[in-house]
Amino acid sequence: MTRVKVLLFATLRERVGGAKSIEVDLPDGGTIRDLKMRIAKNIPALEQNMKSVLTTINREYAFDEAILPDGAELAMFPPVSGG
Amino acid sequence: MQLPNHPTIFSITEEELDLDALLDSITLHSTGAAAIFTGMVRGVTSRGDAHETVYLEYEAYKPMAEAKMKQVADEIRARWQTIEGIAIVQRIGRLYPRTPTVLIACTAAHRDTGVFEAARYGIDRLKEIVPVWKKEVGPNGEEWVEGDYIPKPGE
Repeated sequence: MTRVKVLLFATLRERVGGAKSIEVDLPDGGTIRDLKMRIAKNIPALEQNMKSVLTTINREYAFDEAILPDGAELAMFPPVSGG
Repeated sequence: MQLPNHPTIFSITEEELDLDALLDSITLHSTGAAAIFTGMVRGVTSRGDAHETVYLEYEAYKPMAEAKMKQVADEIRARWQTIEGIAIVQRIGRLYPRTPTVLIACTAAHRDTGVFEAARYGIDRLKEIVPVWKKEVGPNGEEWVEGDYIPKPGE
């Protein structure tokens, strides 16, 4: 198992009481899909968000099949609304 | 392609946007045209779901947001080789109606070589891929605004 840290922004951060990040244990070689499933299961407050959330690995958009590299900077957030 | 004397400015800031200073920083001796887009907080919305806004609270994933702004600037340069300077700046924090929140400015030698289109492209892309969010606070409560664009691989 590996413990990964995931940065949260906007709605997701508010759902977990303002925490800037969460930590999740995942099997080695886990993908973004695995990460989302684990979060949905372990953190009920974020379950709904996992359906539409955007995920990034090292500040690039990443998708369900992507394997999480060791030590990567991970983040999750809703579709962006800047401007 | 970016010539060494073609400035590209991109930042997330909590400071007031200084439109004159930003324009000055992308104006070259050869510049004859600039298109500047700036968005501001709208206190009263009548289009669509009519409502009033007391303030907006902006938040950013700053290092990624600045990297994506650089990417937007690179995309602009790939499409319009005539563009001289580019400035892309997003202000974050609590911002009240009439306050400029974002600026996209492009300069070129002449007005008919794509500056308008380049600035338009810049703000449209910023709203698609730059990780910034806003929470809308109105007289009766607050709500996060969520976009509807899902980035594709490579974006």
